[in-house]
Amino acid sequence: MSYKKTYHKRKIIIVGTMLILVASILCIRLGFLMIKKSTYYQKLALDLHQRERSIKAERGVIYDRNGVVLAGNKAVCTISVIHSQIKEPEQVIKVLQEELGLEESYVRKRVEKVSAREKIKSNVEKEIADTIRAYKLDGVMIDEDYKRYYPYESLASKVLGFTGSDNQGIIGLEVKYDSYLSGSPGKILTLTDARGVEVPNAAETRQEPVAGNHLITSIDVNIQKYVEQAATKAMKSHSAKQVSIIIMNPQNGEIYAMVNVPEFNLNEPYTLIDSLKSQENGNNTQELLNQMWRNSSVNDTYEPGSTFKIITAAAGLEENVVKVTDTFSCPGFRIVEDRKIRCHKTVGHGQETFQQGIMNSCNPVFMDVGARVGKEAMYKNYKKLGLFEKTGIDVPGEAKSIMHKLDNIGAVELATMSFGQSFQITPLELLRAVSAVINGGTLITPHFGIEVQNKEGQLVETLSYPTKENAIRKETSELMKELLESVVSEGSGQNAKIEGFRIGGKTATSEKLPRRSGKYISSFLGFAPANDPKVIGLIMIDEPVGTYYGGTIAAPVMKEIFENILPYLGIQQEYIAVQEETTS
Amino acid sequence: MSTKTPVKRRRRKQFNLFVKGEYFDFPMLFIVIFLVCFGLIMIYSSSSYRANLNLGDPAYYLKRQGMWAIIGFIGMFIVSTVHYKVYMKFTIFFYVLAIFLQIIVLILPNSSHGAKRWIVLGPIQFQPSEFSKVALILFLAHILTLTVRQVRTIKGLIKVGIFALPLFGLVGVENLSTSLVILGITILMLFVTSPKYLPFIAMILAGVVLGGIVLLSAGYRMERIEIWLDPENHTKGLQTMQSLYAIGSGGIFGKGLGQSMQKMGFIPESHNDMIFSIVCEELGLFGAICIITMFVMLLWRIMYIANNAPDLYSALICVGVMAQVGIQVFINIAVVTNTIPPTGIPLPFISYGGTSLVFLMGEMGMVLGISRHIRIRK
Repeated sequence: MSYKKTYHKRKIIIVGTMLILVASILCIRLGFLMIKKSTYYQKLALDLHQRERSIKAERGVIYDRNGVVLAGNKAVCTISVIHSQIKEPEQVIKVLQEELGLEESYVRKRVEKVSAREKIKSNVEKEIADTIRAYKLDGVMIDEDYKRYYPYESLASKVLGFTGSDNQGIIGLEVKYDSYLSGSPGKILTLTDARGVEVPNAAETRQEPVAGNHLITSIDVNIQKYVEQAATKAMKSHSAKQVSIIIMNPQNGEIYAMVNVPEFNLNEPYTLIDSLKSQENGNNTQELLNQMWRNSSVNDTYEPGSTFKIITAAAGLEENVVKVTDTFSCPGFRIVEDRKIRCHKTVGHGQETFQQGIMNSCNPVFMDVGARVGKEAMYKNYKKLGLFEKTGIDVPGEAKSIMHKLDNIGAVELATMSFGQSFQITPLELLRAVSAVINGGTLITPHFGIEVQNKEGQLVETLSYPTKENAIRKETSELMKELLESVVSEGSGQNAKIEGFRIGGKTATSEKLPRRSGKYISSFLGFAPANDPKVIGLIMIDEPVGTYYGGTIAAPVMKEIFENILPYLGIQQEYIAVQEETTS
Repeated sequence: MSTKTPVKRRRRKQFNLFVKGEYFDFPMLFIVIFLVCFGLIMIYSSSSYRANLNLGDPAYYLKRQGMWAIIGFIGMFIVSTVHYKVYMKFTIFFYVLAIFLQIIVLILPNSSHGAKRWIVLGPIQFQPSEFSKVALILFLAHILTLTVRQVRTIKGLIKVGIFALPLFGLVGVENLSTSLVILGITILMLFVTSPKYLPFIAMILAGVVLGGIVLLSAGYRMERIEIWLDPENHTKGLQTMQSLYAIGSGGIFGKGLGQSMQKMGFIPESHNDMIFSIVCEELGLFGAICIITMFVMLLWRIMYIANNAPDLYSALICVGVMAQVGIQVFINIAVVTNTIPPTGIPLPFISYGGTSLVFLMGEMGMVLGISRHIRIRK
């Protein structure tokens, strides 16, 4: 047996020292990781451990001008299952399948899936959710949620628009004012294990959602409802494809009603309306839905036809090239260059003054006026009346007018433009331009949004819209109002005449492109009171069957509307006394 | 030699674990008890969440490890009563048995974690490499005692070194990291026995060069280097990063016992090789350094016993055990902290693993047994 030597001891101590040295190095390394880099790794680790669960914010309500709810919220529930907490899977499958009316295989697949949380169904009515809750099933989660709800269903559907599953606006005002309405979702930050399952009893950070703001619109439910009824009636009686009516305040651009029948049910925006259902062939559903959601008053352009003569007349007066008393002759047509352009009255109106020309809606008169104004001055006036720009209305997808290039305008083009053909504008652009003509020359921005309020009803923002003064001269405006009043009182728009009210207006019958297809748009543009317009309306009957003259079928609808809404808007009958005097 | 007979006889008669008047290294015993108990706490803390989730019993790993700890303690005390010279009789037997078991494990089709490292006997899984380490320590201590004069030369060193080769090679086939531990034990034991320094410095340099070549030669090893250098951006660096997240988020005082987030599945099998990162996360830098200090104190006690051991053989056994514990602890912590490239070495006493714990405690028993032979000079 050998005994230890001194050097053995020394070497043992060396080994020991070496090991302690290594230990110190590791301690330094640990110190580096746990002091210097601690915050860095803590942050990374937290990113890894924290899961964010968002809490939906309550969407703001859309009100009409009198505080009636047009778009509100309804409590609904989302049913989901948490695999690890389910104790009686068969019972859970059975209850969910029965109560929610789902396929058994669908429910089974989700219940048996090993996942942190599996959504079974969202937008479940609260009553059904309460029934399920009463079963007290382990692992079944019921989350309360909001669903957009439209109490009037189809009312102003194309204007209001609807929201998608994530509470975001899809069309209409819901999109335009999404940033105001949506609010900001809150979130719950929870710690989860590697599978993403929340750690029990771990502290959670909660950030409350901020509810969206309410939008007060210029829509008047009563007017909208009445106009919608009138439009539906007109659509049915003339078997028209579509009827659009806009009722607006010409002084400030507030829109009281915008109807495009057929409307659709906002609570079921993905269900095709009957007239479109028949066209469904499996592939075109989205296309048809887009068609159904389309707001023609804003999204589509058309040839305005005779209603546009208001603009030509205003341009003529503005440029001082025509006086009311100027006489014209109408043989039933005008030869412009190599073309013979007809008047709607083929035998001609004969000798007539400018005023009579307007009342008769005589094409040759306006061709002459257009020629006198000339293309440059005509376009200058178009521009002043906003016909080259979008109106700036607060609904998305506004179409732009389609106009000739100035250089391409010859005598023929100028002549046709003078009575509203060979170019396209949106109905709203026409309404805006005419509003400027009759309100003293102020180019307004048509709009719905008036103000934004917070959840407590306090004013957050008054929405303002640009206006441009002096689009035309005051005198021109005064004269135009008189001329347009005479159209209704004695001219082609007599069907819109209401005893006791001063109404101005202009009829139009435009043949749709391609010509000779027999498809027309009959329209009537009216305003009242004629001397101080408080309301302006445009009705367009798209593809009426049978009679298609605007004066015959469109003007009476506007008359009916005005008869009801003028008293409602507080516009008094003015010349009862005058009437009585003359009759007595 | 003169003390041998009376000690044995006296113990046989009274069968006492601790004999009055005889030295026994209680500090070391205390440290071992502390580390084992701490290990059990940490195993429960780091495994209960997943054990409850996967096995339905939060104490699943604790119970098993607790059972092995009891067996380990009993084994340790029994071994500590055996006179160290008895080991000499078994040196060759153990060594041959170890080689045999290492061959068996390679032949047997059982595999766990994709590597053949276990022999499964019914409910018991046995890791022969743990036994191989003990066998090697005893074998080298014996051989070196016999050849203490020869290892003064480089030739002699190589000769003895060759004896360790078969075991080193067999372990290295499936478990490179354990074979590195075996290599380390061998070198340190040779170093202590030989009076020379130069050959060992040369050996370390050669080892670094050779190690580099080995690492660079195989693709999967190269990958480990890449992970080591840049774990954040390496696709397979996730486990290393998870460990660093745990350590870093511990801070100075830790999140508190049981408060680890990383044990919730982010670090797979956090009760195994990566347990130290959970220690760091829950107990912070403070706790981690305390544990390292406990290991250093354990090594110091073993060193003390080695220096006061009655003869070279017993001293070398202590050196071997010290080398094994030291190397394993430091490799483990170095891997967890991404100080060296990742490799799988359990943390002695604390990581989950029955074979490892029982054999380690057996080795502690050997050292404690040797401590009984220390003569205190007054």
